Amino acid sequence: MARMKFLCDADRCIECNACVTACKNEHEVPWGINRRRVVTLNDGKPGERSISMACMHCTDAPCAAVCPVNCFYTTADAIVLHDKDLCIGCGYCFYACPFGAPQYPRVGNFGGRGKMDKCTYCAGGPQADNSAAEYIQYGANRIAEGKLPLCAEMCSTKALLAGDGDIIASIYRERVSKRGYGSGAWGWRTAYKEGVQA
Amino acid sequence: MLIKRSDGKAARQRLASAYQGLSGGGLDRRGFLRQAGLGGAGLAALGALPALTARRAEAGPTNFAQPITRRKNMCTHCSVGCSVIAEVQNGVWVGQEPAWESPINRGTHCAKGASVREIVHGDRRLKYPMKLVGGEWRRISWATAVEEIGEKMAAIRAASGPDSVFMLGSAKFTNEAAYLFRKFSAFWGTNNVDHQARICHSTTVAGVANTWGYGAQTNSYNDIRNAKTMIIMGGNPAEAHPVSLQHVLTGKELNRSNLIVIDPRFTRTAAHATEYVRLRPGTDIPIMWGMLWHIFRNGWEDKKFIAERVHGMEDVRKEVEKWDPAEVERVTGVPGAQLERISKIFATEKPSTLIWCMGVTQHTVGTANVRALCTLLLATGNVGAPGTGANIFRGHTNVQGATDLGLDVTTLPAYYGLDENAWRHWCRVWETDYAWMQGRFGSKALMELPGIPSTRWFDATMMPGERNKEGAGEAYVQQPDSYKGMVVFGHGGNTVTRMPEMLKGLEKLELLVVADPHPTTFSQISNRRDGTYLLPICTSFEMDGSRTASNRSLQWGEKIVEPIFESKTDYEAIYLLAKKLGFADRMFKNIKVENNQPLAEDLLREINRGAWSIGYTGQSPERLKLHMAHQDQFDIVTLRGKPGTPVAGDFYGMPWPCWGTPEQKHPGTHQLYNTNLHVKEGGGTFRARFGVERNGQTLLAEGSYSKGSEIQDGYPEFTVAVLKRLGWLEELTERERASIEFHFGPNIDRASWANDLSGGIQRVVMEHGCVPYGNAKARANAWNLPDPVPVHREPIYTSRTDLIAKYPTLPDRRGFRMPHLGVSVQNRSTTVVKDFPIILSSGRLVEYEGGGEETRSNKWLAELQQDMFVEINPADAASRGIKDGGWVWVMGPESQSKAKMKALVTERVAAGVAWMPFHFGGWWQGEDRRKYYPAGTDPVVLGESVNSITTYGYDPVTYMQETKCTLCQIRAA
Amino acid sequence: MRALLLTLALLCAAPAFAQAPAPFTTRDQTSAEELELQRALQGGTISGRVSIPDTKSGNLVQPEGENWRQFHNRTLYTVGAVAVCGVLGLLWLFYTMKGRIRIAGGPSGRTMQRFNLLERTNHWMVASSFIVLMLSGLNLTFGRYIILPTLGPEAFTTLSMWGKVAHNFLSFPFVLGLVVMFLLWAKDNLPHPRDLEWLKMGGGFIGRGHPEAGRFNAGQKGVFWITMLGGAAVAVTGYILVFPFFVTDIAGQQLAHMIHGVLAMLMIAAILAHIYIGSVGMEGAVDAMTTGQVDYNWAREHHSLWVDQELAKARTTIDPGAKTAGAD
Repeated sequence: MARMKFLCDADRCIECNACVTACKNEHEVPWGINRRRVVTLNDGKPGERSISMACMHCTDAPCAAVCPVNCFYTTADAIVLHDKDLCIGCGYCFYACPFGAPQYPRVGNFGGRGKMDKCTYCAGGPQADNSAAEYIQYGANRIAEGKLPLCAEMCSTKALLAGDGDIIASIYRERVSKRGYGSGAWGWRTAYKEGVQA
Repeated sequence: MLIKRSDGKAARQRLASAYQGLSGGGLDRRGFLRQAGLGGAGLAALGALPALTARRAEAGPTNFAQPITRRKNMCTHCSVGCSVIAEVQNGVWVGQEPAWESPINRGTHCAKGASVREIVHGDRRLKYPMKLVGGEWRRISWATAVEEIGEKMAAIRAASGPDSVFMLGSAKFTNEAAYLFRKFSAFWGTNNVDHQARICHSTTVAGVANTWGYGAQTNSYNDIRNAKTMIIMGGNPAEAHPVSLQHVLTGKELNRSNLIVIDPRFTRTAAHATEYVRLRPGTDIPIMWGMLWHIFRNGWEDKKFIAERVHGMEDVRKEVEKWDPAEVERVTGVPGAQLERISKIFATEKPSTLIWCMGVTQHTVGTANVRALCTLLLATGNVGAPGTGANIFRGHTNVQGATDLGLDVTTLPAYYGLDENAWRHWCRVWETDYAWMQGRFGSKALMELPGIPSTRWFDATMMPGERNKEGAGEAYVQQPDSYKGMVVFGHGGNTVTRMPEMLKGLEKLELLVVADPHPTTFSQISNRRDGTYLLPICTSFEMDGSRTASNRSLQWGEKIVEPIFESKTDYEAIYLLAKKLGFADRMFKNIKVENNQPLAEDLLREINRGAWSIGYTGQSPERLKLHMAHQDQFDIVTLRGKPGTPVAGDFYGMPWPCWGTPEQKHPGTHQLYNTNLHVKEGGGTFRARFGVERNGQTLLAEGSYSKGSEIQDGYPEFTVAVLKRLGWLEELTERERASIEFHFGPNIDRASWANDLSGGIQRVVMEHGCVPYGNAKARANAWNLPDPVPVHREPIYTSRTDLIAKYPTLPDRRGFRMPHLGVSVQNRSTTVVKDFPIILSSGRLVEYEGGGEETRSNKWLAELQQDMFVEINPADAASRGIKDGGWVWVMGPESQSKAKMKALVTERVAAGVAWMPFHFGGWWQGEDRRKYYPAGTDPVVLGESVNSITTYGYDPVTYMQETKCTLCQIRAA
Repeated sequence: MRALLLTLALLCAAPAFAQAPAPFTTRDQTSAEELELQRALQGGTISGRVSIPDTKSGNLVQPEGENWRQFHNRTLYTVGAVAVCGVLGLLWLFYTMKGRIRIAGGPSGRTMQRFNLLERTNHWMVASSFIVLMLSGLNLTFGRYIILPTLGPEAFTTLSMWGKVAHNFLSFPFVLGLVVMFLLWAKDNLPHPRDLEWLKMGGGFIGRGHPEAGRFNAGQKGVFWITMLGGAAVAVTGYILVFPFFVTDIAGQQLAHMIHGVLAMLMIAAILAHIYIGSVGMEGAVDAMTTGQVDYNWAREHHSLWVDQELAKARTTIDPGAKTAGAD
C-alpha cells in the first residue's frame, strides 16, 4: 500500500498561495481556518525561502497520541484523519503538533475552541465516501475518487508534491541531482522520521 | 510526476449507484446522532461563524449521483492564460479540477486561478443595474438604464459632440468584446477609447513596434525553457505571473541557466535568482548602456547579426560611450564589477532572453527604456531564435487581445492607425459607407486625430475644449468640448495616478456609466450624488469568447454557467446601447444576434476578415476550439502539435501572425522574427515598416532572409505593385483577383498584404517563402520618437536633484490633444525632495489583481492580505519611530495627498526607497468609505490606494504614467 | 586635494543602497533536515513570516511539541498514577492498620461552634467544584484508557465534552472560593513553632499524648497552603490554558499545561488525604464542616489551644441567652 506524504521543494516555492486557495475552494474552508499556509523564512533577504505547510500526516502522529478522546485514526494509506463528532476541542493536538496543523473555529467560551479542523489530505473523514455529510464536515474526498490532494495538483511551480512517499522522494532526488542543489525536504525528519535520501 | 490516478469516473458511478435515493445526511448511526443534536457541536461550530462563510445551498457539495459536466475556460486574472476546468452541476459551478492537458499551465494555478470559482459564486457581485439618486443607490431595470444612458449620451453628443464621451474599455474583454467595443466607439464617432494597456505595457508596444515591427512578446513562456541566460528586469513574475515561473525555474534547473534579476526591490523572484542587481528606480537606460559599454568594448556583440539585420547601431555606440562604469555606478548605484559580470554572461552565455514588466514600462522614459532593452537584444543577436527574445509578460487576462483589437486612442483594430486608409479598410470590412462613418465624427480631422489616453481622462474633464479655450493658454483640449460623460467597462478607478485630481474630474462628469461585475472604486470614491449608473456585466467565465495570452496564442473559453443574477455579457450590453443609439443594424450587419445576444463566433469571424496586419486571420473559431479539445497533443517546449493528431503542425493557439485565411491552415508563429524557419512553418523577419531607405542607407535586411525565401535578401512589404514587378500577380486566383478589383477599383496597385480582404496576396507571397510584411532591419535609431536613441532622463520627481542638470526630462510640450508638462514639474524636485525624501515605488501582490475590487471581494484571497501596507527599510523606520505592523501616514508632494496604512519593515527595499501594493481601494485619506458602496457589494478588504499619493509624469509617446518612481514622506500615525 | 574632495562628494551623493548584496547562488542553502535536528536538540521554533493575521502560523516547525507529547503521555500519566493510586493505597493501608481515629474518652455530648455558615458554604463550594474539576481533569489524562473502552466513543465524547465545559466554568467558583477561604482563614494558618512539635509527634501517632494545636494544626496548615498556593498556580495556568495564546506563545502554553497538570495531580493526592481524614479517617471531624458544631472532647483533644481561646472569648462576651456550663 502506498504511504502518502507531502514534500515542499523550497527552492521552487514562490509563495503564490495556490495551494492555500485551492484547499479553500475544494473544501469550502471557512474564514479563519488555515488548513494550509505558506511560511517564508528570511523574508526579504538573500536566502529567502518559502515553504507550504499543512498537516504532514506523520508516522506515529503526536496529535493522535495525546488526544484525550482518541478521535484520530490512520488510514491504510497512512493518512491521519480524525472524527469531528468525537472531538471535544481541547486543543492538545495543537500543542503536540510540530507543524501547527490543527485549526479551531472560535465559538465563544472565552478563547474557546470548536471542533478541530485540519488538512485531510483530501481524504474526507469517517462518513461515507463522497457523501454530503462528509463534505459538510470535512470537505471533498479526492482520494476516494482516485485523485490526489488539490493543493499539490495546482501548485504553480510543482514545488508541492503529494502522493506515494517513495515516488515523490525519488522525484525530488532526481530534481536535486539534475539542478545541483536542494535545501531539503522540510518536515520529513520530524514527521516521517527519515530523510528524503534512499 | 505525481502518481497516475484513475479518471475517477468508475469510482463515482459505483458510489452513485450505492447512494441512489439516499438523502444527503445518510441514515447511519452517526448521522442519526448528529441530527439528534448530540454530536451537533461540530456542525454548530461551523455554523456559528460569521455570515461571510455561510454556505449557500446551491453551491454545496458535488452530488455524485448526478451527472457532472466539465467545461474549459481560461483564468481571468493575468495573461499567462492558465486553463481552468470547471465542474458544473445543474447550472452551478461546483468545483475546479486541474487542466493537466494545457501546455501553458499543465494543471497548475496561482492563488487567484485556484479560487476563481468564488467570483462566479459572487457573494459581493453587482447583482442588478443601479442608479445613484441624491447620494443613494436605487435598483433599476436594464431597460430603464439603457434608455436613460442612451438619452443622456445623445444629449451630450448634441451639445458637445461625440468626443465628449470617453469610452474606457477593458483588458477583461474577450477578443470579441474588445473588438465590439472599438467598433462601438467608431460608430459613436470618437477616438477617445482606451483600456488598461495604457497603464501597463503601452510603452512596450510603442517601443518594441518602433524597433522591429510588432509590439508583443517575441517568444513565449514555454520557450524560456530553452534559455541559458535570463535577465528579469523591472518584473516580479513570482508574484505577477506565478505559473510562468514553472517554465523559468524548470528551464533554469535543466539548463543550469543564469537567472539574473535587476530590480530596486529584493523580490520573491530575486530570491530564486542566481544573481541579484539592485538599482535606483528610474535608471534602466544607464544599466542597458552600461552593459553595452562592456559588450562593445570587449567585442562581445554579434557583429553578423548587426550587419545583416540592424540599422543605426553606430548611433547607439556614440551614446553608450558616455556610460562608463563610474558614471553608471554614480547614477544607478550598481557596482561596476557586477555589471561587467552580467554583461559578459548575457552576451556570451547564449541563448539569452530579456523579460520585463512594469518596472521598465511605467516611467516618463518608458518607451525609451523598452527600446534600450530591445537594442541590447539586437546587439547580442538574441532575437528570433529559441531561448531568446523580448519575453514581455503582459499583465491582464486579455490585455494583449484588447490591445491588438484596437482599444487604443491611436488606432483602429489591428494597429492600422487612424489615417484615411485605415478607416477605409475597416469600412470595407464592416461593409459600411466611409462617408457615413466620417459623418459620425465631429470632423475628418477629429476622425484621424489620436484621442486622449486614459491616464489623463480627468484632465480632459477639467480643461475646456476648443470652443471655450479663450484665456486658458495651453490648458485646453484639442476637441470641441471637454469630457462630459464616461462609459467604463471593466476598468478600476484607482489605477491612474493623481487621484486627488481624478476626484475633481469625476465629480464634474454629467454622466458616469460603470459596467462591471463589481461596483469598483468609481462607485464610492467621490462626492457624486447623481448621474451615475452601475451595470452588472458578467465575467468571462459566463460567456464564450477567445482571449489572447501574452505569448500571442489565442485560446477559446467556453461559457461555464449562465451570467449570474441580472448580469449580462459584454456583447449584449454593447448591443443594447448600440440599439438605443440607433446604429445597431449597421454595426451588427454580419453578426448574428439572438435574444439580444451577439454570437461570439461571428465576431471572431469578422476579426478574421479584417485583421490582416497582425495575422489574426487564420485563427477561426473552429480551429481554436479544436486546439482546446486537443491541448494535450502539443509539445511543451516547442508548442507544436504532434504528428498524427488533428492539430499536427499547428502551434498551440496559433500565435499571431497566423497568416492567410483559416483554410490556408498557417500554423501560427511561435517565435517572432525567426529566420531559421520557413514562413509557412512560423518563420519570420523584421518588419519593413519604416521605409526602404534613410540617409542613403538601406533599411532592408542585408543577406538575411527566412528559410526557403526565394528573395535571398531584404525586401519591402508586399503590395500588388510589388507582386507585379516580381511577376507573381498571375498566381492570384480568380476569386482573389475579383475581390481586389472590387475593393480597389482600377488602381489595384495600392492593395497590400494588409488590406487585401481575400488573403490572396499573403498566400502568394508565402508560396514563394517570403514574409508578407517585408524583410527589413530593426531600428536601433527610431528617428520619429522624441529620443531616437534612448537617453537617460531623471524621473519627474527625483531624489537625485544633482543629476537633473545633466539628465533633464523633456521640455513642456503638447500631445494627445492636451498640454504635457515636463521640466517645469521636474524642477520642483529640488524643493520637494527636502520634505519628501523617500522614493516611492509600487507593484503587485500575488493574491490580488489590478485595482483589486474583484479579487478583494473573493474571501479566499482577501483573507491572505487583509491590510494595505507600505514596505519601508529598517533604517528609515528606525529614524521615524515606525514599528513593523504599526500605522503610518504616507504623504505625497502633490495636492497635499496623504494615505493611512500599516508599515511592513523589511530589508526587501533599500534605504531611501519605499514600496506599496497598488491593489487597494475603499479608503480615502484615512476614511473608510465602505458605506458608500451599494449594499452587499463592498469588497471584503478595503484600504488606501497608492495612486492617491502618486504624481504627474507621462511618457511622451504613450502618456504612460510614472508609477514606479516618485517621492513621498512617511510618518508614524 | 580638490580631486579628493570631489571624489568624496561624489561618493556621498551616491545613494545609500549602492552596496548591493554580493552575488549568491541557490547552492548555498541551509539544509532543512539539519535545521530541524538542531532545533529539536536546542529547543525553539523555526519560524518565518506569513501574510495572514494568525501569527502562530508563522511557526513552520516547533519540535518542542514532541517533548510535550512525551510529557503528557508519559510523565504526567506516571506522576498522576503514582500520586493518586499511591495516596489511595497508603490511605487504605493506614485505615486497615490504624482504623478510624476515635475521640479519646468518647464524645462528651456538648458541642461548640468551629465553622460558621459562610465558612462552611464556601468550603463546600470549593470542595464540590474541586471534585468535578478533579474528575474532569483526570479524565483528560486517563479517561481514554480507562473509561473509553467501557462507554464507547460517542458516549465518552459526550461525557468528556461536558467535563470540559464543567471544568472551564467551575474554575470560577473554585477560584472565588479560594479567595474567600484565604480571607477567612489565612491568619489562623500562619506557621508557628508549635507546628514543628506537632509534626515531630506525628500529630499524635509518635510518642505519647497529643500535641497542642491552635485552631488549625500543622497538618491542616499544610493542606491550607497547598490549596492556596497550588490552587493559585493551577488557576493562573488554567486561565492561560482557557484563553489560549492571549498572553503567550506555544512554548508558554505547553509550559502552562505542564505546570497545571503536575500541580493538579499533587493537589489531588493531598486533597484525597484531606477528604479521608475529614470523613472516614477521624470520628467527629466531619461535623466541623457539616453542622459547624464539634464535640467538646474532640476539640479538647485535637485543638486544645483553640478551645482555650474560644472559652476565654466566651467568658468575656456573654450571650444574653447563654446558659452557664454545667447548670442543672
